[in-house]
Amino acid sequence: MLRLIARLLRVLNSETNPGQISLGFCFAMVAGLTPLVGLHNLVVLLLILILRVNLSAFLLGLVVFSGMAYLLDPVFHWNGVQILTAPALEGLWTSLYNSTLWRFARFNNTIVMGSVVFSLAFFVPLYFLSNGLILRYREHVLAWIEKTRLMQFFKASKVYHLYQSLPHFGGGG
Amino acid sequence: MTQPKTGLIRWWGLGVFLVLVAGLALLWLLVVDGLVKAKIEEEGTAAVGAKVELEAADLTLFPTGLTLTRLQVTNPDEPMTNSVEIARLTMNLDGLQLLGRKVIIDEMQVDGVQFGTARSTSGAIDDRARGGTPGTSQDDSTFTLPPLEVPNVQRILEQEDLETLKLIRAIQTDIQREREVWKQRLETLPGKAEFAKYQKRIEGLKNSTKGGIGGILGGVDELNTIKKDIEQDLANLKMARKEFGEKVALLNQRFVQIQTAPQRDVQRLKEKYSLSPKGLANLGQTLLGKHIGAKLKEAAGWYDMLEPYLEGMEAGHGSTSEKAGPTRGEGQDIHFQEHEPLPEFLIRLAKISLLLDIGELRGTIENITPDPATLGRPLTYAFAGEQLKGLQGVTIEGVLDHRDSAHPTDTMKFRANRYRVRPVALSTQPDWPVTVENGFADVTVNAELRGQAITATGNTELSSLQVSAGKPDDANPLTKALSGAVSDISTLSVQADVTGTLQQYDVQIRSELDRVLKDAAGKMVKNLAASFGKDLQSAISARVAEPLKSLTGSFSGLDSIGGDLTSRLGKEDNLLNGLLKQGLPQKGLPKGLPDTLPGGFKLPF
Repeated sequence: MLRLIARLLRVLNSETNPGQISLGFCFAMVAGLTPLVGLHNLVVLLLILILRVNLSAFLLGLVVFSGMAYLLDPVFHWNGVQILTAPALEGLWTSLYNSTLWRFARFNNTIVMGSVVFSLAFFVPLYFLSNGLILRYREHVLAWIEKTRLMQFFKASKVYHLYQSLPHFGGGG
Repeated sequence: MTQPKTGLIRWWGLGVFLVLVAGLALLWLLVVDGLVKAKIEEEGTAAVGAKVELEAADLTLFPTGLTLTRLQVTNPDEPMTNSVEIARLTMNLDGLQLLGRKVIIDEMQVDGVQFGTARSTSGAIDDRARGGTPGTSQDDSTFTLPPLEVPNVQRILEQEDLETLKLIRAIQTDIQREREVWKQRLETLPGKAEFAKYQKRIEGLKNSTKGGIGGILGGVDELNTIKKDIEQDLANLKMARKEFGEKVALLNQRFVQIQTAPQRDVQRLKEKYSLSPKGLANLGQTLLGKHIGAKLKEAAGWYDMLEPYLEGMEAGHGSTSEKAGPTRGEGQDIHFQEHEPLPEFLIRLAKISLLLDIGELRGTIENITPDPATLGRPLTYAFAGEQLKGLQGVTIEGVLDHRDSAHPTDTMKFRANRYRVRPVALSTQPDWPVTVENGFADVTVNAELRGQAITATGNTELSSLQVSAGKPDDANPLTKALSGAVSDISTLSVQADVTGTLQQYDVQIRSELDRVLKDAAGKMVKNLAASFGKDLQSAISARVAEPLKSLTGSFSGLDSIGGDLTSRLGKEDNLLNGLLKQGLPQKGLPKGLPDTLPGGFKLPF
């Protein structure tokens, strides 16, 4: 965990494109909030590997969002029930239900449907929010932190050495 | 500082993805057999309540199939025995349906099914109490043979309370009470003292000295007063005599009934203790019924064991959504209408080989599913075996139709040819044991279960029978005759009809056994019954003779009371008539006066 945080700090402090980091968080939200074993997460895995997404941000985000998923379970279930039982969508769901691929994807499960829709709905807002926060962090917070005594103390610590020893990871390729 | 890489795609990621997916697939292939094995054992153990063990599971993807080797299902009531052991179970799965989360098995081959095999280790998982299993339930049938002894009359009379004696005791008590009552009543009725008083009053009227109209009218008034008093007394006496007559009539009526009571006692005791030809007619039912009942109980036990699964069939998956709340993290599956509806689980065809003690039975079961309503077809089964041990051939076929859960219908046809009958005790009664030692049976059974109502007909043709009956030193002529008749039977036809429910059924058996027994022992039974009746008649007559004589004596006491009442009435009547006629005051009466008393009074007697 310590290693993961160190990596994140390095990524944040590096010149890695903020969009890559934000995308990592967003995909982590999809994979973390939805049931891990599922066809949709295979697609997420493909996307995070093939797209230039920061993997450290994804892994840390996955830990955080997986923990949140249990708390949001009732919300996802309610959400899924509303979506799957909406009369207007019955025709769509019926046709998907008769497709083997979609049945395999378990789209008709309330948690799967509720969490996927929830995470997709927050995908874009989270991307922009995360992007903005990273930029602000780099512009204002990082310079100030560098000058603080705490940071000086930190730089003398083992964690910092560990941090320094880490290679650039996940950002580029 | 390194410059950040630009561009949206990193192609090496695709390679990593493929390697990862391949690695996961490989890992899955390596562990899936173990996972399937563990899942079957876990789920099976939970369902059965005892260990379900599997030697190996082999899942193949192309073509999609599963092979299970040596599946053992422990009998929960006998942990060192397997209820079922299957040597090999191979199934072809519909891969596409499996992706759609439906287990559709097109064909399943089940080889080497054995029942009741021994286990090397205990299969118990806990010590929870369970109900009985088929074939282990106690035979609690209450079939008993009718009495086959000629009863002892004296012993019967010592045990029995005769109705005749009870009636005699009751009427004697009543007679005694009536006698006491009427003795007291007679003392309150007019008697000698009253007669004397009337005579004195009339004498006084005769000796009256007054003459003239005044004297005559005074005499007439007094006469009227005496007359009214006499009338009242006479009325009381007549009322008493009437009441007494009624009481005596009632007692007489009871006495008449008592005269026929001994005959009723004879009849009742004959029916209770005598072996009647009617009893012989039911002997076939008695001897064979408990064995058919035991088979039915066994069948009911098996059905009880299957019932939870059959109820599952009735529950089905017809609803569009699951009503139960979701398990945390699992959610609920919402179901929609399918273009080609199929149940969640279906075995289209199972080919089964049963290895029984008698040999191998082969058969098929089609359409095994917990949701027959969705499938639209009932479960059917058919098994057959030939040249078996002690049996030339057997076929079992039937249908479990639970498509309409409100009206499930199960049918079964069973046929066994040349079944060698093993020694079986039809009667274990010490006085008359009966055992079928040997023989052959052709058995046909047609059964139908509609809801809880069972209707079954069975026909058994027994041939080459060897039956042993009775004891070698049997001295009872009746059981000797029955034993001879039964031992001579070499062929027998038995029909059984079963109606009711699996829990409470009625077995009606018709067979030639009844006729054989009737022919052999019917006349003897009749003669014995007649002789017993005659002895009983004599013994009862002798026992009630003295009490009846005593009862007749008790009636004579009442006769004296009746005579007293009649005598009083007669005496008073005569006396008062005479006194009234003689005692009228004639002297000084005006001419033309009528002979009758004033007011047109006439004595009522």
